[in-house]
Amino acid sequence: MTIRKFKDLLAKKIMGLLAGLALSLVFLIILGLFSRSKSILAVNSLKDLLFSTSWHPTQGKFGLLNFILGTVWVTTIAVIISVPLSILTGIYLAEYAPRRVREFIKPLIDLLAGISPVIYGVWGGVVIVPLVRDYLMPFLSGKLRFFPFISDNYTGYSALAGGIVLAVMVFPIIISIIDEIIKTVPLEMREASLSLGATKWETVKYVVLKRVRPGIIAAIILGLSRAVGETIAVLMVAGCSLQEFPKSIFDTAYPLPAFIANTYGEMMSIPLYDSAVLLAAFILLLMTILFNMLGWGILLRVKE
Amino acid sequence: MKKFFILISLIGLISPISFAKELQGTITLSGAWAIYPTAVAWAEAFKKLNPKVQIDISAGGAGKGAADAIAGLVDIGMVSRDPDPAEIKKGISPVYILHDAVYPVISDKNPALPDLLKKGINKKTWFDIYISGIITKWDDIIGRKIGKSVHVYTRSDACGAASSWAAYIDKKQEDLKGVGIYGDPGLLEAARRDPIGIGYSNFSYVFTREGKVVKGAKLVPVDSNENGIADADEIYNDRESAVKAIRAGRYPATRKNYFFTKGKPKGLVKEFISFALSDEGTKIVDEVGTSLSISKADRGKVLKGLE
Repeated sequence: MTIRKFKDLLAKKIMGLLAGLALSLVFLIILGLFSRSKSILAVNSLKDLLFSTSWHPTQGKFGLLNFILGTVWVTTIAVIISVPLSILTGIYLAEYAPRRVREFIKPLIDLLAGISPVIYGVWGGVVIVPLVRDYLMPFLSGKLRFFPFISDNYTGYSALAGGIVLAVMVFPIIISIIDEIIKTVPLEMREASLSLGATKWETVKYVVLKRVRPGIIAAIILGLSRAVGETIAVLMVAGCSLQEFPKSIFDTAYPLPAFIANTYGEMMSIPLYDSAVLLAAFILLLMTILFNMLGWGILLRVKE
Repeated sequence: MKKFFILISLIGLISPISFAKELQGTITLSGAWAIYPTAVAWAEAFKKLNPKVQIDISAGGAGKGAADAIAGLVDIGMVSRDPDPAEIKKGISPVYILHDAVYPVISDKNPALPDLLKKGINKKTWFDIYISGIITKWDDIIGRKIGKSVHVYTRSDACGAASSWAAYIDKKQEDLKGVGIYGDPGLLEAARRDPIGIGYSNFSYVFTREGKVVKGAKLVPVDSNENGIADADEIYNDRESAVKAIRAGRYPATRKNYFFTKGKPKGLVKEFISFALSDEGTKIVDEVGTSLSISKADRGKVLKGLE
C-alpha cells in the first residue's frame, strides 16, 4: 500500500460519497414531502383528496381534483401546440438547413430555453391573453359550439393562454433532443435510401423518422415533464380560479405548481392546510419523476 | 456659568435620546405588500435616530408574514388582515398599527359607469357577483339593458386584500368566484384594461403618488347605507375623499393592519413599535401615503397594551 495508491483510493471514495449524497437528495425530498403529507392522509381518504373538486380548507375540504385537471388541461394544450412545430423544426435543422442558418438558429433556440419564466409570464399577460380574448375565443368559441370550445369565460385568462405560453417554453427542449437523435442515424442508411431513387423527403420520412420514432416520443415526454412543473409563467396567465371546474380550453385552469406557489405558507393556522398543500407537492413530484424516468429510459434505448 | 447651564439644558431638550442608553441590535420583518412601503420608511427614520440598529424588511404577502412570525423566522410579521383565532393560540400577539381599505375597481371605459356612479352597488349585489355567481351580466347590476357579461376578477394568491374583500361580504377568500390573477398590480391591471371587467385592489395601489385614482381605473361606489343611491361620500376620485370617508366610518371594506410578534413585544422590537405609533411615526405614514395612520385615541390604547 504505497502512499500514491492510498491517495487514489481516497479520491475514489470521497467522490463516490459526494455523488451518493447528491443522489440521496432526491430520496430525502420524497421522504420529507411524504412524511409531512401523511397527516392529511390520516384524516381524509385518498379518494376524497384526489377525486373531489371542493377546496374549502376552512370547512376541512381539501379536494385536489381541480388542480390535477388544471395541470392536465394546460400541459395537453401545450403538447398539442408544440409537438408538431418542434418535430418539423428539428427535422429542418438536422436535415435541410444550410450550415449558416443552422448556426444562427441553434443559439436562438437555446436562448429561448434560458429566458426566465417570469418574463414568459409577463409576455403572456401582455400579448397572449389579449390575443385569446379578442381573437381566438370569439372566433373559435363562436364557430365551434362543442367540447372543448364552449366556455363563458371571456377574459382571455385561460387554459389556452397557459398552454400557448408553455408551448413556447418547451420548444427548445423538444427541438434540441430531436435534433440530437436525428444526428445518430448513420449516414450510410440515408445514402442507401437515396441511391434507390428516393427523394430527400421520402428518405426523411421512411428511413430517418422511422428509426428515431421512440426518441421523438421521449422528447415529447421530457417536454411534458418541464411543462408539468412550470409555475410562475402559467400562474400569470391561466386565470387560476378556485371555483371553476375546467371544461373547455377557454376556461380558467389552476395547475398544481401554481396552486402550491399561491397557497404554501398561508394560513398555517388552519389544521391540515399545509399538509394538503404538501400532498399536492408530493403528487407533482411523483408526476415529474415518472415522466423523466420514462423519457430518459426511452432515450437511452434509442442511443444504444 | 448660567449660559453654560442653559446650553446644556437646551441640548438636553433637543436630543432626549442621546442621553438615553443607545439601542443596538437587529430587527427583522416580513409580510404584507400593503404595509411594506410604510415599514421601510419607519425603518429608515428609526435607523437615523439609532445608528447602531439594523432593520431587515422583506415583502411576500400577509400569509408569509404570519407564517414567519409563528415559525420565529422574523421578529415582526406584517399582516394586513385580522388575526385568526388559531394564530392567537400559537402565541401571536397582534399589534394594531395601521389601517387601509380595499376598493372595487372597473375600467373607465365601462359602459355601465354612469349608472354605477348614480346607484353604487350594495352588499347583496356584491355577494351575488362574487359568491353565489347569480349575477353574470351588467344588466342585472344596473337594471338597464347593455347586453354585456361581467368579467369577474379575483386574486389567485393568498392575500390580505382578498381576505378583506371577502370579509366585507361575510365570506373567506376561498369562496370568491372569478378569474384568479396573481398579485395586487396584476389584478388592478386586469380590471383596468378590461372594459367589462371588475376587480378589487388595495388603498395603496388604487391612488397615484399625487393622490388621484390610477389612470384608466374608476372606483365603484359601494352603497353602504343601502339607499340605492351613490351618495357624495360614497364616490371617491382621489385619496383625500377616500381617507375622509374611512375616518368617518362611512366606508365598509376597511381592514386593520397588524404587526404580529410571538409573545408580547419586548426590548428593541417594542421600541420600534412605539416609534411607529409615535407622532413622528404617524407623520411618516401620511408622507408615504400608501396606508392610513390610526387615530390618536387608538394609538394610545395600543401603546398602553404594550406595557
